Amino acid sequence: MGTLRDTLSRHGQSGGATLLLYPMLVALASGIPALAQVPPPPPPVTVAAVPLTTAQRAQQTMVSLNFRVPRGYHINSNTPKSEFLIPTALKMDLPTDIILGKIEYPAGEEMTFPFSPDEKLSVYAGDFTVSVGVHPLHSVVPGKYVMRGVLRYQACDDAACYPPRTLPVSFEVKVVKEPATHHANPAQSPHVHN
Amino acid sequence: METSPGTVQNSQDAGESPRPPEPSRTSPETLSPDPKPPNLSPRSPLVLVVVAFVVALMLYFGYHQARRPGASAAPARLTQLSLAPDFSLESLDGKTMRLSDLRGKAVLLNFWATWCGPCKIEMPWFVELQTQYGSQGLQIVGVAMDDASKEDIGKFAKDMGVNYPILIGKESVGDQYGGVPALPESFLIGRDGKIVDKIIGLRGKAEIEDAVKKALNTHPASSQASAARPEIVPAPR
Repeated sequence: MGTLRDTLSRHGQSGGATLLLYPMLVALASGIPALAQVPPPPPPVTVAAVPLTTAQRAQQTMVSLNFRVPRGYHINSNTPKSEFLIPTALKMDLPTDIILGKIEYPAGEEMTFPFSPDEKLSVYAGDFTVSVGVHPLHSVVPGKYVMRGVLRYQACDDAACYPPRTLPVSFEVKVVKEPATHHANPAQSPHVHN
Repeated sequence: METSPGTVQNSQDAGESPRPPEPSRTSPETLSPDPKPPNLSPRSPLVLVVVAFVVALMLYFGYHQARRPGASAAPARLTQLSLAPDFSLESLDGKTMRLSDLRGKAVLLNFWATWCGPCKIEMPWFVELQTQYGSQGLQIVGVAMDDASKEDIGKFAKDMGVNYPILIGKESVGDQYGGVPALPESFLIGRDGKIVDKIIGLRGKAEIEDAVKKALNTHPASSQASAARPEIVPAPR
């Protein structure tokens, strides 16, 4: 700082101070308050870590995905009451030979909001669980597989709505062989003597 | 107790005030160049030159950065009395509408979407305001920030009985208006093309109406220069 002070004193302090003052004024001017406070984007919906699931070949195993909607927000259920509302939907992309089974969504909560006092909306708020069926075919080599997908949702609060977003989802499934089938012979006495 | 020579040396050094290492006993001629750094006293010409260079760079880039409003990729930051960014968008009936063509009118520019519940509440209010203040120079313009098809947007607008133009929005236009992070979002634009107010989220109809009156009470830029009062806006109701 002493060096800067020296520099200014040698080149004329008032001129140097003006030079420094100008960008400060420009910076202040660029900070003129905007017309209205832009609300911060809503915190995203989150998904809890999914424990490793064991899935037997040739049968469907259900995996539960636990989601949380931030407090103060809601998202449409999978079956909103208007064709124009964007349903919450999980889209999975599974490895070859692992078939996507049914996806079970919870029923939405019927709620009214200040922007919709006369019309109940079907929404998810707080925690909700979506179950996904995975069905490894007989051809799948036993081992761990990662299932990936996205949850698409559109959030609102009491006064505003936010553009649709997607939440990546992934979980591991350990595919194991189906139990050896026991070929039972028809009941027949080995010692039949006629 | 015996200690290694090195240890003794260290302990002695620790108890003494710092002093420069003793020069080697070899002759000065055999030493490598002086290990001391170059003279960096505040009065050193080298320091002055470096400081002056850095300050000059800061001033140059700070000044030019501040003068480039659109330099950043971030959405524009609009302030009161900014000139409303101009744009051209296609309307539901296939025509292209340019915002600046509405200069001289008070404009309520409403960003909305079919999936936005609060937007749906506002639309009947806008219909009423357009009916009530249209003759005084109000023009409401809806911009649908929607992924829905044009047909679906049209169906929605028809169901809502919209009596003002609906334009098919683009992200670039949203960025011109600050990114439109939440819907509904409305900008009130005066007859001179300057933004006079902005409303984010669902508010009461009275608040929107007050903002409309504020926009109607502005004067076209060309008539501001003339001494005569260009237009008297009758008080509503």
